[in-house]
Amino acid sequence: MSHIGITPPSRLNRFWHKWRFHLNVLLLLIPLGFMPKYFADASLFRGDSGLGEREIGEIQVGPWSLRLAELRNQAPILTGPAGYMKDFSAALCDACVDHVKATYLRIGKPRSLRAAGVIFFGTPYRMGTQLPVPEKTAADAELWITMEGWDGSMHQASIPLRQASPATLAWLNKQGAKP
Amino acid sequence: MSKKSRSKLWFLVHSWLALPIWFFVLIVCVTGTLAVVSQEIVWLANPQMRASAPSDDAPLLSYDQVLAAIKKAEPQTVVQSISRPDESHFALDVEVSYPDGRSLTVYVNPYTGVIQGPAPTFNFKAFTRALHGWWLVPFTNGFSWGWYLVSFLGLPMLASLVTGLVVYKRFWKGFFRPTLRIRHGARIFWGDFHRLSGIWSIWFIAVISITGVWFLIRALLFDFQISISSEPIIPAMSRESVPISADGTPPPRISLDSAIEIAQQKIPGLEASFVSLPGNAYSHMSVGGRGWYPLMFQTATLNPYNGDIAASRLLSDRSALEFVTESMRPLHTGDFGGIWIKLIWFFFGLLLSMMVLSGLLIWTKRTALATLNALKREDKRNRKVAPRSTDRHEPSEVRP
Repeated sequence: MSHIGITPPSRLNRFWHKWRFHLNVLLLLIPLGFMPKYFADASLFRGDSGLGEREIGEIQVGPWSLRLAELRNQAPILTGPAGYMKDFSAALCDACVDHVKATYLRIGKPRSLRAAGVIFFGTPYRMGTQLPVPEKTAADAELWITMEGWDGSMHQASIPLRQASPATLAWLNKQGAKP
Repeated sequence: MSKKSRSKLWFLVHSWLALPIWFFVLIVCVTGTLAVVSQEIVWLANPQMRASAPSDDAPLLSYDQVLAAIKKAEPQTVVQSISRPDESHFALDVEVSYPDGRSLTVYVNPYTGVIQGPAPTFNFKAFTRALHGWWLVPFTNGFSWGWYLVSFLGLPMLASLVTGLVVYKRFWKGFFRPTLRIRHGARIFWGDFHRLSGIWSIWFIAVISITGVWFLIRALLFDFQISISSEPIIPAMSRESVPISADGTPPPRISLDSAIEIAQQKIPGLEASFVSLPGNAYSHMSVGGRGWYPLMFQTATLNPYNGDIAASRLLSDRSALEFVTESMRPLHTGDFGGIWIKLIWFFFGLLLSMMVLSGLLIWTKRTALATLNALKREDKRNRKVAPRSTDRHEPSEVRP
């Protein structure tokens, strides 16, 4: 017959029995760990830290220009059935605020204004869009910017995707490496 | 199984539901309670959020007057939306975008149109809601796993309510003979407190846990791409419906007040509590407000150039299922009937937080007592005859 009540339990056992119901306090480490990211994101969305995590620069589009930025300096993210998406933000030049009707983004040259790509939403000072990036995009692809004027005019410009988003290019190269 | 051992089992289930995660549940309850009155807390801390009338009979400005006042004070600022909070002591929330690229909310006096100041950089309301709602875990692809972690708590909470009522024999008697013994030691006090606040909170715990489970279901539906919405997707405006202007400047848009008038023709009795302006040249503007059923909004979506209604969403457009599911969020947050509903939710939120704490206190005190008794008995037996394991604590919660 064992003397359960008398044999002294091991230190680990005692510790476990004393603290087992308080271990869940450690769950508080989750929000504490995410707090810096939470505040960085809040500042990013408010525009306190600029247009995005990585500024691409001023791009001349015909008579107009815009400042383009990657919202996040990272690879496209999977957003449900729509596939991989990459967020860009932009701001129009001071002189073109009243003349530009819409701004579009597309990978590859658009055949017409009707296929200019995804449209930017927001205000001329800060607008954003989600660009679909197919997994099979070529590494030398170009990002095309189309700007449409209120007078019906249209202007286009392009920059290499590798310049627009090095993180996307790195991601594409990794995709290509897959068997 | 005998009746007694069955109630012992229920009692064990009841204690185990929250015990291993009590601190997590407690923080979720406390942050939820704070989130209910977060807007009021910000109001207390920030005078610029208050809507002080210049005189007792000062009329409220119309949305167009507000827009004009902002335009006059800050010609460069672009207004994205204006919303009028439910309670009249709050200033208008106006979402604006500045030439330097910042976009934020500013508080505008509803009587004078004065921009009273920007919302504080630390958004207490958003922070408490994020902490309560998804434990600050970011949303990347679909719902954040923090959302699942928190909303899953609805299940043990609902089970706690049911087992609690099973364990508490003839609980309805507690309504007529409330017991809260103060001078019989902490264990008795917290036990009485737990039971008394429990029975008065039955409705609240049921509401919070059921709506909490709905948040879990909603995330699952979204992540598995199942839609139960009857709301049609409004396509962007066609190229033809957006005018071209010869001089290359933006064509005129209809005024906010006429947009509201048009919406009111479609939605009789609509009191517009928000107006949001188009997000680009091809998108619509929308106007909305609460209907006779305070838990839902009715909205109209309009072409900003000619005022044509592209879509409207009335109470009568909702399916029976949507009436239930769309009511879940306001029921959870208590944000549907002004300050008094919020205060009721806040009070019961506090009570619920205290129930988690009192549950824990009862358990630790009882276990401590039970362990002590067990050891004493063990000691006695050892001195007399062969010992027997007494590793069981008495469920003193089961009261006749």
